[in-house]
Amino acid sequence: MSAKGCLHVQNLKRHPQNLDTFKWLHTVFVVAGSPKSHEIKVSNAWCRTCKNRGPFLHACLGCVYFGCHKHIREHTKSQKHNFSLELSYGQLHCTACGDYVYDADIDAITMENKMNAAEFRKRLFECTSWDATEEERDLLSHKTKKICITPECTIGLRGLINLGATCFMNCILQALMHTPLLRDYFLTERHNCNNVQGACFVCEISKLYQEFYNGDTFPLALPCLLHLTWKHATHLAGYRQQDAHEFFIATLNILHNHCLDTMHKNNELLDRENGKCPCIIDKIYTGSLQSDVVCQKCNVVSTKIDPLWDFSLDLGPVTLGGKQPTSLYAVLEQFTRAELLSYMCSSCGTSQESTKQLTMKTLPIVINFHLKRFQHSEEIKKKISTVISFPEMLDMTPFMSSSSTENPYPQDNRYSLFAVINHVGTSIMSGHYTAYVRHHRDIWYKCNDEIITRAKFEEVLASEGYLLFYHKHVLDYE
Amino acid sequence: MPQEYDSRASLHLDVNQGLDRVTELVQTRLIESGWRDQVKLHCRKTILESANSKHVPTVDELITQITPKARGMVPDAVKRELLHELELILMNVDRTGYAKNI
Repeated sequence: MSAKGCLHVQNLKRHPQNLDTFKWLHTVFVVAGSPKSHEIKVSNAWCRTCKNRGPFLHACLGCVYFGCHKHIREHTKSQKHNFSLELSYGQLHCTACGDYVYDADIDAITMENKMNAAEFRKRLFECTSWDATEEERDLLSHKTKKICITPECTIGLRGLINLGATCFMNCILQALMHTPLLRDYFLTERHNCNNVQGACFVCEISKLYQEFYNGDTFPLALPCLLHLTWKHATHLAGYRQQDAHEFFIATLNILHNHCLDTMHKNNELLDRENGKCPCIIDKIYTGSLQSDVVCQKCNVVSTKIDPLWDFSLDLGPVTLGGKQPTSLYAVLEQFTRAELLSYMCSSCGTSQESTKQLTMKTLPIVINFHLKRFQHSEEIKKKISTVISFPEMLDMTPFMSSSSTENPYPQDNRYSLFAVINHVGTSIMSGHYTAYVRHHRDIWYKCNDEIITRAKFEEVLASEGYLLFYHKHVLDYE
Repeated sequence: MPQEYDSRASLHLDVNQGLDRVTELVQTRLIESGWRDQVKLHCRKTILESANSKHVPTVDELITQITPKARGMVPDAVKRELLHELELILMNVDRTGYAKNI
């Protein structure tokens, strides 16, 4: 595709200094990636006639003039300066033609600027034309099947056959399949594997996504995935019922390891993230917990920060006489409450009464709350079936570490519920797992192995809840 | 510096890139709610209608025609959220060193 601008643009392009001017204006005022250019933009980008910052601020290419929509048109007309640059999207306006013009060379310059920007700006890429490659054109002309997504549409829902007490696996897979960010990662085929076929867990999950979204509706059996789990997480092997939470953690572990295996080949990725794991699992699930121990005698605070993948929450009262929590908020409050313990203080060297408090240092994109309904410590394995109410929208701000001074902006820590896993039965070794998943916005389905039924949202909220999956409501840029 | 511009609020919004963040947020919301598609559809319709008169409308003409309609179509929830976000940011005007870069 070649877009050729009007005659006037061709004339403009004859002089290289014109293009330099254009490029400079575009870098500083449209892309504004560096702090320096941001500063220039803030102090210069206002209409020279009405002194406002908009709307549709333009810069004249002929002289040092900035103007809002109305005034730039008047200016270019009266001064006979032919071109002006629109500053929020970077389009070039030609006064002689009376409209915005497109030109392949100009586009190439703006594209280069956008790609070199220090900061990614989504807005700039939204009105970029897409030039399909040969391969893409070929695909477009041959794959003409269209799938229309409506609220009633069930694409993305597949039943999973129980292979003999594998409901713990099925419900976790349903929750994984409906994790929005993970789905986007796999459906865009971001995982490039060079492992032996059938040995990589990530590839199996990737295949599963393809199965879920290819439009078929018959239930799937997943012997390969089960086999891989047994191979890599030996403690889960065997035909017995397993704990869904344990399987979830094991799955994340395997996925994380296999992701790393394929990534080590290009080490630069690791370096660029300076020590932080670049794999998709860590990007989505890793948060960190800060534990502060304050010595009551010398008031020295020792802080430790631990990364974690899930929050395991105690349900019973911690202290005698404490109230049994009945809501997720109360459980979280209990989790982050300061507690007394005797502790050897490294500062004053005596064993002292200290307080220990856990707070959330950083939050992951997907939070998984594990309500400890099964007691492992006692000999009798009992299930706690206390009703814990949980909200659709959860604000994690109260449970964050108090370091808000670093960031002047109030952070948005809202999370929305997208999957709930329930356990039916009396003990960990028996019973059955089912999952509720959010399919579209506000449309929920209950996944009971191969049977998938539409569920009311009240039903989801009223369910007991064993694992709760929350997804960050507003995603930030890194 | 332009005269009206020393109003602390708008300086704060610009210097700390608050406006950028809010703009981005609103943009995301408008896309999510389908507003952008509706506006696109309107533009398309307008262009098609004018095909009879053999004059292709310029971007400026489209802007003057579509803007009033488009404004009316913004969902209330988006407006409320924007208001809330701006409130949150402006409450922090005093807390942050908004003038340190200038």
